[in-house]
Amino acid sequence: MLTREDIIRKLKDILISADARNAAALQACTEDSKILTDLGLTSVGMLYMVIAIEETFNIRFDNVGMNDFVTLRDVVDYVENKLK
Amino acid sequence: MLTASKEIFAKYQDEALLARIREYPDVSAMWAACVRDYADLPAVVFDGETHTYADLDRDAAAFRTVLKNAGLTAGDRVCLLAPNSYLFVKAYLAAVTMGVTAAILPAQLDERSVFGCTMMFGAKAVVCHPDLEAKLSICKAKNVKTLSAADTAEEGTPAAEGLGEDFPCVIMFTGGTTGKSKGALLSHGAVMQGTVNGCYGYSEVFNQRYMLLLPLSHVFGLIRNLMTSLYTGSALFICRNNKDMFRDIAVFRPTILVIVPALAEMALNLSRQFGRNMLGPDLKYIICGAAAVAPYLVKEYLKMGIGLCPGYGLTESANLVSGNPDFANRPDSVGLMYPNQEYKIVDGELWLKGKNMMLGYVGDPAENAAAYEDGWFRTGDLVRFDEDGFLYITGRIKEVIILSNGENVSPAEVEARFNELPIVQDSQVFEDVDESGRHILALEVVPRMTELKKIDTPDPIAYLTAQLEAVNAGLPGYWQVNRITVRDSDFARTPSMKIVRYKKC
Repeated sequence: MLTREDIIRKLKDILISADARNAAALQACTEDSKILTDLGLTSVGMLYMVIAIEETFNIRFDNVGMNDFVTLRDVVDYVENKLK
Repeated sequence: MLTASKEIFAKYQDEALLARIREYPDVSAMWAACVRDYADLPAVVFDGETHTYADLDRDAAAFRTVLKNAGLTAGDRVCLLAPNSYLFVKAYLAAVTMGVTAAILPAQLDERSVFGCTMMFGAKAVVCHPDLEAKLSICKAKNVKTLSAADTAEEGTPAAEGLGEDFPCVIMFTGGTTGKSKGALLSHGAVMQGTVNGCYGYSEVFNQRYMLLLPLSHVFGLIRNLMTSLYTGSALFICRNNKDMFRDIAVFRPTILVIVPALAEMALNLSRQFGRNMLGPDLKYIICGAAAVAPYLVKEYLKMGIGLCPGYGLTESANLVSGNPDFANRPDSVGLMYPNQEYKIVDGELWLKGKNMMLGYVGDPAENAAAYEDGWFRTGDLVRFDEDGFLYITGRIKEVIILSNGENVSPAEVEARFNELPIVQDSQVFEDVDESGRHILALEVVPRMTELKKIDTPDPIAYLTAQLEAVNAGLPGYWQVNRITVRDSDFARTPSMKIVRYKKC
């Protein structure tokens, strides 16, 4: 069973791979980081994150919209719930 | 003035292939040829069902009966509100092949905008996908005729013949020159030219497998993807949800993808992260447009044996007017001008003329007057050609911001949403490059201090920022800004007190 820390670590890897030029900022992100304004994720960046999360954690997102996730905490919560 | 010709592509395509690229005056004539030549081949694959050209022809004929029974005849307009789906393709094809102009509404419009568009375009009815039925509430309350795209009839109605190239075909949404959203009216001749343009420059053109990832409310999706796929007797797999695109690719194995640069980059990065080619073993070409393509993408895909071909076009020109032949190896060019295109360069700006150009913006004489000069459409793009005729975009003189995902953002429209807050004096939305080199959409705001002082809060700037973030979260995804800055002074102003717009990119 993955711990919350494991999920965050893998999530960071995904985000850095989606946007390598922003690696420094992404490395420093916390659960409170806002996806849109702090991390600067675009709609395609969000799509990358969803696809990579599904692939990495072997889960399927339900029909979720970009605005359903405000902070990274929301994403981690969602993944954690799916893994239960 | 220059006119591009077909001969220039003879270097990249053999004679027999070039000879197969025929021109038709209208979509009806093209579709009749498609049904004659490809009847039993798969035309559209959606939700696990394969529809042949003959199936699509029968379903479109039945839907023409539905339209006819609703009182629609050639020359009328309908709004079409549907997500990418087989029902979209059927309803669109039915309307335009009977001479009814289809005003194609982006599926994300809200009910107020749907009603507004119906009025603005003078549509006699709205054809709506069952999934979007809720967006018709205002139209229904105002007694606008509504039809379901799922409707059908026992008997088919034949397509109209002899519509000709000048007959109106579709109305497409665009930001246009000044950025205010409006509808560009494209003729059958324009749609057909855009469709045929998708055949030039590749060694494999007919009977391909295309996959639809872009919205059909965008010319790149409707014309280069759907129409060229049908024209070439290819099969089009319609992806229901882009998050499933790689699972769909693994099953359908497309040979051609028509995508925006941001998606091409995403696919590349995902392939690297997971150590395998996520685009499938059969992919030959990626047709890339709607935003600037980074040359390194072309080079990286070439290493994978995939020809990424950047092109250039506008909604007003019925999609691509230029494109790279496969493996032409000019990664920073947007390719060669397609046949029949009339063009010239005035003070560095590309001006266009030809049957592919729109008939005009619907009901907007001021915009039409601003868009043309001496009958030429001013693209607003600064360009140059090299000695071999390859086109390069060197800059832009319009206010519209084009994001890497191909979305056109009108700063004024986005600013208007932030300016609705009484505590905002003025705002500016602009494209910027952040410390790490990423292109972002940024917002700067001048607070209205008189209003802000009335608010009982220990930190007025934090309060304003929170309010701006709330507005931002409620905007359509491609309008959302990535950085919010509250200024402590006004923007620089022109003598007429207009904001001096930033030009950071």
